[in-house]
This record gives sequence, structure tokens and C-alpha cells, in this order.
Amino acid sequence: MFIRTDNKITRSQAIVFLTNTVLGAGILTMPRSVSQAMHTPDSWLAILLSGLLILPIVWLMTRLSLYYPGLTVFQYAGRIVGRLPGTVLGLMLVVFCITIAGFEIRILAEVTMFFLLEGTPIWAIILPFIWAGTYLVSGGIQAIARVYQIVFPLTILVLLVSFGVSLRLFDIDNLRPVLGDGLAPVWDGVKASILIFSGCEVVLTIVGFMDQPRYAVRTMLTGIAIPAVLYLLTIIVVVGGMSLNTVITSTWPTLDLVRSFEITGFFIERLEFPLMVIWLMQMFCNFCSFFFQASLGISQLFRLPPQPVIFALVPIIFLTAMAVDKQKELFALGDIIGYMSIGLFVLLTVPLLIIQIIRKRGRRQHE
Amino acid sequence: MSAIIKHIPSWDVWGWTVVALLVPIAFHRLFLKLSGMLAAQPLSYSTPQGSCVHDQPSQAPFSGDYDTDLSDIEKRIGGNSDVSIRPFTMTRIGARAVLILVDGMQNDRLLNLQMMDYLMSEATPDLLTTADQGALKLPFCNLIVTPGADSFAQSVLFGHAGLLIEGLGKGLLVELPDGMNRQMNEPVSEALLRGPRVGFTEVLSENTSLLRRQGFSEQLEMKSYCVGTRLKKDLVVAYIKDIVNPDLLQEVEKRVSRMNIDFASESGYVEQLIEDDVLSPFQQLQNTERPDRVIHALLEGRVAILLDGTPFVLIAPATFSMLLQSPEDYYERWLPSSLLRLMRFGAAFLALMAPAFYISFISFHPGLIPTELAITIIETRQGVPFPSLIEVLILEISIEILREAGIRLPKPIGPAMGIVGGLIIGDAAVQAGIVSPFLVIVVAVTAISSFSIPSYSAGITLRMLRFAGMLFAAFLGIFGTILFFLLLCSHLSKLKSFGVPYLTPATPFRLRDWKDFLIRAPLTTMKRRPAMMKPQDDRRQS
Repeated sequence: MFIRTDNKITRSQAIVFLTNTVLGAGILTMPRSVSQAMHTPDSWLAILLSGLLILPIVWLMTRLSLYYPGLTVFQYAGRIVGRLPGTVLGLMLVVFCITIAGFEIRILAEVTMFFLLEGTPIWAIILPFIWAGTYLVSGGIQAIARVYQIVFPLTILVLLVSFGVSLRLFDIDNLRPVLGDGLAPVWDGVKASILIFSGCEVVLTIVGFMDQPRYAVRTMLTGIAIPAVLYLLTIIVVVGGMSLNTVITSTWPTLDLVRSFEITGFFIERLEFPLMVIWLMQMFCNFCSFFFQASLGISQLFRLPPQPVIFALVPIIFLTAMAVDKQKELFALGDIIGYMSIGLFVLLTVPLLIIQIIRKRGRRQHE
Repeated sequence: MSAIIKHIPSWDVWGWTVVALLVPIAFHRLFLKLSGMLAAQPLSYSTPQGSCVHDQPSQAPFSGDYDTDLSDIEKRIGGNSDVSIRPFTMTRIGARAVLILVDGMQNDRLLNLQMMDYLMSEATPDLLTTADQGALKLPFCNLIVTPGADSFAQSVLFGHAGLLIEGLGKGLLVELPDGMNRQMNEPVSEALLRGPRVGFTEVLSENTSLLRRQGFSEQLEMKSYCVGTRLKKDLVVAYIKDIVNPDLLQEVEKRVSRMNIDFASESGYVEQLIEDDVLSPFQQLQNTERPDRVIHALLEGRVAILLDGTPFVLIAPATFSMLLQSPEDYYERWLPSSLLRLMRFGAAFLALMAPAFYISFISFHPGLIPTELAITIIETRQGVPFPSLIEVLILEISIEILREAGIRLPKPIGPAMGIVGGLIIGDAAVQAGIVSPFLVIVVAVTAISSFSIPSYSAGITLRMLRFAGMLFAAFLGIFGTILFFLLLCSHLSKLKSFGVPYLTPATPFRLRDWKDFLIRAPLTTMKRRPAMMKPQDDRRQS
């Protein structure tokens, strides 16, 4: 076949898809939110733990999807639990995706208004961004995955360079004492850091799009391990470079860290600019992922053509982004999304997996 | 409850919501409508394979009666003042015959004399009978038998020498057109320092022979099509039989044979009629004047389309990386070639983005560049009465005008014009305080960068998109610039050329093809052909 007509993505595309979906707003806010919940410098332990925790969750999701190769969760949920409950479960995921898309875009608008475009009305930032996303999402999963493949290497490069340069501020004492207050705060930290991995639900859909599902487990685990490692690096560099107290008081600690020093004699003295650029691109990817998931969910659940669904979602996402009033509420919404993510896992993945296993066992005994 | 009410957005937000919904729908509608309107309407039938001279379905066959046929031909083309009809008698056969040709199309008078001499006094009757394979025994190398008066008349007007013989009942074409041709020159648009100095010409047979002469192979296959519904013209599809992917070849042939145009005057016509996306700013076929470039493309598994009457050959499918590669990359050693190629990619980025970055830094975020640099730039901008967008537009547009004017000017004046335009106007504009000196540097760097792009067509695309980037930057600063970049990436990710994703090998990621993408790896590492072409035979070296 020379001309591809299928709608599949390759392994590397699947890895990048998952990574780009998970790696979003968290890079800038996560050090603060986790540190605030813990008040000890052990936040890196919390991230490490939650990173290790997310691996089996992703593994479970992949196993579940592998029972129905070529199908997304919106299609097989109905087959497992029946049409109506399946639709309800699918709708939950859709609502989750819309919420998180609105949230991400609002965070983006806040950061842009604070650092780049002071005084610009918020709709002027949000609307073009959603429209650009609409253009990309209309292209389907292959186009989206291709854009991710362009953005991803740039992100990794800039992130690693800025972290590497920030190491000059790194002071190991900022990370001490280890477990000074025992394990209790670490658990609070793990709870707070769930938000940064929310979005891994995308596994339930992309496994169905993989052209080689037999590698799905390895691919998905790699896809989630990359953001986990990047988050771990972020928290170590940020807390180690800024000390706990500064991190807690700063709204966007990672940006503040990069802003706090200058590289003299270079064209760009502060790495804030490249970091902002790749972060904006990363947010675009992130947003498009959720936008795509939501549109895919609705069009598959109700058998609608995708293009009108995408258009109908544009105002909904816009309203979601505008519904939040203040920054404080925004961060509260972030926490809610974290809990929604847990809730989805408990309400969607686990029951589906259990029922599927029971049904399969039953079928086998039957035969 | 009150918490919910508090979160219900105000009226203006609802207004923007409506806008948010309507704008993409409007754009989508417009896009659908435009692409529906502009998309090429292929013919309902496909042109059969074969050159224009050979097999045109003839509506009016020769009657077989010499006088009727001759008067028929005379009626058709005899009114033209440049057609000369020379009747004579073939003495040894005792038959009348007539040689019809167009002035200026047959150069070799001597050959004509010998031919006349032979026909008039030496040709014997048995030569008119058909030999074993059904071909006439007449001792001419280029002997084409046309059964129809239509194609006979057309071929004579195209420059063939036509021969009608009493009692034969068919028209003969005895000499190929041999009109005035241009000498083979070094290609003007793609000059190289190292590499063959030969370029294609306007004659199709010379171009195909140039390709053949690249090396011995029986696998290089060329098929001709007669395109154009009004003025017909030969078009050749060339490929290497055991390398090209048959699906790709079939797709190219399908599109070529269904071209709906009355006259394809240049390969640009063909390009625009068979491309995938009319609305894309990017070219989806590559054009080149260099035979070496074409043969390299064929060896990668691509297909070349040659049209009579133009030195520009099309290569399909095209990918983005091809536009920034030059044949010289392969002729020089790999280290300098890789560096040059990287530099070209950087230059393309500058040519596209530099003015947009200037606008966003100056107008929106002077804080993002080093403080001293920002102060220097702002000091030089003092007294400039325009916002940065207008300032950049003034200079960019004048550069574009200069470039356009430079092409039209006769060669001796061109460089002088460049000096006058570039140096004097730029300097005077700075002196007059219309633009800042820093901007002159930016615009000059942009212009020079866009000259470094090896393909002229790709250069214009980037020049055009640069203005879009400037507008985005003028509205939303660096945010707009990033948005522009993302939109461009989205478009390029959707774009395909004959089924090949435009951004291969960057995405879909094919590590194997990266050896010949941003860098040019040593030839010894390129043991296999590019995977993106899915060739039949993918070993280059054993």
C-alpha cells in the first residue's frame, strides 16, 4: 500500500501522543502545588512515588484496551457493560476531557497575560488558540500525532537545556532533610501530584489507533515514563534551585527559576523566552489532545460525523475556559480535575476491566 | 446555587462564544467552497498512452484515392502560407507522390535533396509492399505510417515531413521535426559550483536523451502521453521500472492522463492540475532544470514528468526536505555538505520568521531580549514615526519590489539596480528616520536567507508566508508568532503529495531517512533507498 487510507499511528507517534497529553501545565505549576501540600522538601519523593504508581494504572488501561484491538473506549465500553451504561461512562470521559481542555487553555491564557501580553483581553488569547486547535483536530489523529512529533523534540531539548543551565543555582541543601517529617507529608504530596498525570486516560483511546497493538504495553509505559521522568527532573531542579519557601510563594515556580539568573554574553540572556515558547507549544498539543478525545468520544458514542462535533465543541470549551473567575479558583479546578481523574479510574477503568475479565472467564468456561 | 450563578459568564462572553462558533464554521465553509471550486476537474476519460504523432484516434481515414486524399490534405492545411507542397513522380514505380512540409521545420536540406533524389529516381515498387513485420520496406529510419488524414495533417504542421504516394492509401511521415532549438546551457535557476553544467532544454526528445545518457540501464522507462484538448503536446512520464512503487506510478499516470486543459504551455500547468491541494501555499511537486537531480530522484523511487516545450521537469512526490536540498550536497564531501544543509534549514527559518520576531520583540516584549540590546534597538528607533509593523512592511515590500524589478531588468543593469535599491534607499531611509538601522539589518538578513534556498518556488512560498507571520506577530506578539508556527505545522502535517506525508521523514518519523534530511550522512551509510517512497528494490549498495 503506497497511499495510506487507514487511521493508524505508529509506535513512536503513540509514545509522543501520550507524553504530550500528560506533559502540560504541570511543568510550570506542579512544584508549587506539590510543595504547598507537603511543606517539606521531599516533594521529589512524592513525584517519584506517583510516577511509580501511575505505571500500573497505565498498564491496566492498556490491558483493558487490548481486549478490543482497533476500538476505542467509547466503542468497547458499550460492548462490555451494555449500550446505556457504556454511553454514560463514555460521556463522563468526554466531560472530563472538555473540563481539562478548558482548564489548560485558561492556564495558558493566565500565563500569557501575565508574562507576555499584559492588557490584552482574555478572549483575544483564547479564541485564536482554540481556532488553531480546531484546524489541527479536524485533520484527525494522524495530523495531530505528526504535529506532536515536531513539537516533542523541541520541548525535550529546551527543557533539558534550561534545567541544565539552572543547575548552577542547585543547592543540595534545599532538598534536605530527606523524610524529616516522616512519610505522612509524602502521601499528601502524592495526592496533590495526581493532577499532573491526569490525561493518561488517553491511553484508553490511542491503543485502539496503534498500527501494531502487540507493542502497546511497552509503548504506553514508555509514553508515561517520559513525562514522569521530566516531572521528577523539574521538581528536583526547581526545589533544589529555589528552596522550599520560595517555591511555595511563587505562582509559576519553574518560570521564576529560569528568570532568576542571566547567562551573560549570549544572545538570549534569560532562558525564560525559549521556555515560554516551548511551553506554549506544549500546551497547544495538550489542548488538542483533549479536544480531539472529546470530539472523538461524542462522535463515536452518538455515531455523528466528526467535523460538526468539533465545531460544536469550540464554544463549549470556550465557555469552560471563561467560567472560572479568579486564579485561585483556577487552581482549585486543577485539584478537582485531579480528583476527577482518580474518579474516572475508579468508575471507568476498574469496573470495565473486572467485568471484562469475568465475562471472558465465563465465556471460556461456557465453551 | 449562588455559586453557580456567579459562574455564569456575562453577556460579552456569550457574544464571544457565538463568534467562537461561527468563525471556524465560516472558514470551513469557505474552504470547502473554494477547494470545490478550484480543484482540478479531471477529464471523464483518460488519454491513452502514446505520443501525439503515433496513435491519435483518427476520425477521417484516407480514402485510398490519391487525388481525393491530396485535395483533402490541401483543403485542410494548404491554405497556410508556410506549407510547401512538392508533387513529383516516382519514375521507377510510375506513381505520383507529394512531399509536404512546413518551412523552417526541416533544417537538413541536404538530406531532403538526397531523399527526393532517392524517391524520384531510385525507389522500386516492391518497397511499397509491407515486409515481414508489417512495416514498409522504405529505407527511412524515422518512418511513421498514419492511417488518418487528421493526424497526418497535424503532424505535418508540427514539423514532420509528410509523404503521400499514389496507390498506398496511407500517409507517411518520413522526417522528424528539426526546427530551431536553443543550445544546451547551464541551468540558470539552479547553478552549482560542482556538478554537471548541463540543463534541460525546450525539446522533449533532447531532455529524454539527457536522462538516458546519465547511465546504462534498461530499467529507465519512459511513457508518453499526448495532453491538451486543443493544442496537443507530448508529455513523458519517466521512472525506473524495478524501483518505483507501482501504486505511485499508477496514481501519477492516472492524474496525468486525466488532465483537463486545452493547452499545457509549461510544466507549471501540469503541476497545478495534478497537485493534491490547490489551497496550500506549498508546492507539492518539485521542478528542476537539472538532469542529475531528476535521475537522483528517480533512483529514490520518485517519478519524473517531462513536458515538451519547457526545460522544467517535475518530480513527484515532493517532500519538504527536498526543497532545501541541493545536488551539490552529494557531490561535496559529507561534513561540509551536512553543515551547509543545516545552515540552509536555519536560513529558511530566518527567512520565514525573522521579521515576525522583530515585530514581537520590539512592539510587545522588549523584556525578553537582553536589556542592553533592547536599549540599543529602542534608541535607534527613536524618531521613527511608525509602529513596527508598518516599519517592517515598508522595508519588506520595497525589497520585494526591488527583487521583482531586478528580474525584469537587462543583465548589465540588474546589479547596479541592486546597489541603488538596496544600499542607497536603505541608507537614505535610515537617514530620513523612516526606519531604524536595526530593522535594515533584519530585513537584509531575511532577504539574503531567502536567496540561499536552492529552489526558487520554495523561496516564493516562504516569502509569502513571511508576511502572514508578520501579521500574526503584529496582533499577538510572540504568542501570535507561535500560533503561526503551529498553524503552519498543522497544515504541513495534513499536507500530502501523492500520498506521501509532506514532512517525512521528520514525521511520520523514519529514522532511516534521517541520514539524508537535516544532514547528509556519508554515502557509505546510505545503503538503502528512502523508506518513504516504499520502493520495490530498496538496496542501493549490496
